Amino acid sequence: MNNQSSGALLSRLWHSYSYIFVFVIIFCVYALSSNGLTLNAAMNILRHSAVIGIIALGMGMVCITAEIDLSVGSMLALVSGLSVVVFNVTDSILLTFLFAVGFGCLCGLLNGVLVGIVKMPSFIVTLATMLIFRSFAQYICQHIDKSLAGGGSSVYRMISKLDMFQPMFSFGNSKFLSLPIVGIMLVLLTALFVYILESTKFGKKVYAVGSSYKGAFMAGINVSLMKTMVFVITGGLVGVASFFWIAMNASSDPATTGSSYEMYAIAAVVLGGISMAGGRGRCLGILFGALSYTVIDKIIIALKMDSLINDAVKGIILIVVILIQVAGPQIRERMRVMRARAQAQHGS
Amino acid sequence: MSLLLMRGICKAFNGVPVLKNTALTVERGVVHALLGENGAGKSTLMNILTGTIPADAGEVIFDGQKLDRPTIRQTEELGIAFVHQELNLFNDLKVFENMFMCKELEGALWHLKKKEMIARSRELFDRLQVNIDPQAYVHELKTGDRQLLEISKALLFKAKLLILDEPTTALNNEEIEHLFDIVKGLKADGLSFIFISHKMPEIFSYCDNYTVFRNGEYIAEGRIADTNPEEVTKLMVGRSGAAQSFYEPRETGDTVLALDKYSGEGFHDVDLEVKRGQVVGLTGLEGCGSSELMQCLFGLSASTGGSATVNGKVLPPASVHAAMRAGIGLLAANRKENSVIPDMDILENMYLAEHTLSAGKFHIRKGEELKKYFHYKELLNLKAASPALPVVSLSGGNQQKVFIARWLNTNASVLLFDNPTQGIDVGAKAEIYKLILKLAAQGKTVLVNTLEIPELQKVADFCLVFYNGGVIKVLPHQEIEEHRIMMYSTNSAGE
Repeated sequence: MNNQSSGALLSRLWHSYSYIFVFVIIFCVYALSSNGLTLNAAMNILRHSAVIGIIALGMGMVCITAEIDLSVGSMLALVSGLSVVVFNVTDSILLTFLFAVGFGCLCGLLNGVLVGIVKMPSFIVTLATMLIFRSFAQYICQHIDKSLAGGGSSVYRMISKLDMFQPMFSFGNSKFLSLPIVGIMLVLLTALFVYILESTKFGKKVYAVGSSYKGAFMAGINVSLMKTMVFVITGGLVGVASFFWIAMNASSDPATTGSSYEMYAIAAVVLGGISMAGGRGRCLGILFGALSYTVIDKIIIALKMDSLINDAVKGIILIVVILIQVAGPQIRERMRVMRARAQAQHGS
Repeated sequence: MSLLLMRGICKAFNGVPVLKNTALTVERGVVHALLGENGAGKSTLMNILTGTIPADAGEVIFDGQKLDRPTIRQTEELGIAFVHQELNLFNDLKVFENMFMCKELEGALWHLKKKEMIARSRELFDRLQVNIDPQAYVHELKTGDRQLLEISKALLFKAKLLILDEPTTALNNEEIEHLFDIVKGLKADGLSFIFISHKMPEIFSYCDNYTVFRNGEYIAEGRIADTNPEEVTKLMVGRSGAAQSFYEPRETGDTVLALDKYSGEGFHDVDLEVKRGQVVGLTGLEGCGSSELMQCLFGLSASTGGSATVNGKVLPPASVHAAMRAGIGLLAANRKENSVIPDMDILENMYLAEHTLSAGKFHIRKGEELKKYFHYKELLNLKAASPALPVVSLSGGNQQKVFIARWLNTNASVLLFDNPTQGIDVGAKAEIYKLILKLAAQGKTVLVNTLEIPELQKVADFCLVFYNGGVIKVLPHQEIEEHRIMMYSTNSAGE
């Protein structure tokens, strides 16, 4: 009796917090495989999740409105590249940050207007802007004055002789109470978006639009505006992520920065329990989804496996988790019907 | 030997029994009414019959053959056809493609014999006297024709038993008659029908036998000729509450809503003056313009002429938000599509509309929202165990109350109820009528658009009859009467 109720509790917990279980399991595997897990290594997980985690927050919100944003990876390349140029010109951390966020919002606005107001399918719109942003990032890098791009030939590089270079770089790489600052920022931003999506009127409207477009419209919600806003906010988050990226790396390679990040972000979102059909899922899951993926990287390094197998492992874990979520209830229902039949036959 | 015998059927969902030892017998060549309130278990029983869900216990014998956990495909081949309430058609395919879906006629190398399929569809339509072009796209058809297409589709493959699940909700009277003409003809050929409906007049004009369910239990069966609507209703709800009247005249206040030659898509030149606390009925045949008028007032479509004044202010055109600010709330028809936010809980569904008006205050104060929720729960007699339950877990009637609360919450002074009792069972319907009168007594102005005249008799102070987009007649409360309204709404009154 007691056994059964604790089983039910466990299945309910799994259902609502599967992303935490997944993370804990993967983390345990990592702890075992890396014999002698240091605090430093554990903290590095947070640091390496910062960029993808922040992007995934935006992606999660877009998915909740039942849309998709494929352009985030390319947008990261373009915004971070141009932010390096802005830093090299102004030598100001604040202006670089404002530019990154502002320009990110602008890129998001382009997606948002085409999806929300013109009502084009988001898959197509962001597929197109994905190509556009990446192309611009590479083209501009080749064609601007070399001194603006930090002297590199095909990479945007921050000029290390500038006064603000050291403070900027240490922001991206230093720690506060042994916690990486960018990691703290990721946690704070997640907390902010958990608040926005769960406890504000704006957040509830995001869910409503994704759950039933027509129903939300008939309840007086400006659905076009909501969709546009979600893309703009995602752009802004990509801007923040771009700023972190250059603070951590001091450079941005337009060919590789953020490549496949849209796919990792979507995977983190799905692993975090957000429905791609819209309207369902919670923001907290995204953080754990992103962390889980970073840990998988670490496991592969710790086991000294070929890093090319990396994506295969990530893909398999994604399928297994979703399989449990989808197939679990179906199996349980089938067993229940069989039990009921057996009982009925017993009775008669 | 009966065509269909179902005995001892039991079914439970998540441990909650929805069918308890139920039985159903259908003879050959009859129209058999399956009666019961929503949630009585009718749909579950039909889903078991068609093999959509397995029964926990019981036996089904169809046409002398015992069915043991059949698949949908098998029951179809045996001749059981389910004509669904939500039409199962592919809108982007042509009529004949829908007719032959999964049963296409194939020639050599699997090519489709389109000409033959079209010819056979046309032949069937001619026999049924249905006027549908087999090569039209389904989305081009009227709702009534789609319903007839569903039935034709079932007949193409020698169905012996057709299940009609509320086939008339979306049809006008003319279409309903046409439908039953067809049913009568097929009945003579020996086909049987299971007919699920909440509309008593139809049941008593067209059905032969009936079975009543209540709360998942078999209650009674018999011949329609041996009973009357009051008795059947009593069996369905377990108490007699059908014919009672709650209408009483109320004090009315200042003019709240004034329309002057108001026109828009589908309706024109509507003049109307409604006072505070009045209940106005709008009625007419499907597509007569009354529903369109409501949608236009709520800002879903632009008005093309005239003016609408709400609480002394002219209503701005074509903006839902402006209409809400002006104090208009629309309880839209087709609840599932237009009102329900399926992934949200009861409380969230209730407060959503109000939050678009108070979007400036960013934070949701859960405590205050809950206080309002419990106020409306009490006022509307909402039966829900907790505000945190999903809204889809409620019955139709209780869902509708959540959406009434949604508009009360926005402090709307003019409530537009478009077909408010659609898909709601008899007991809950009566509650909705009482609610409308209660709200009116508290100073709300309510416009009710419905095709069911007995509803208007219960609530409306006066009634506008629409014909072809215009108001053809205004009837005061004591003159609201089924026959008279039919005369005006079909424009056959000889005045």
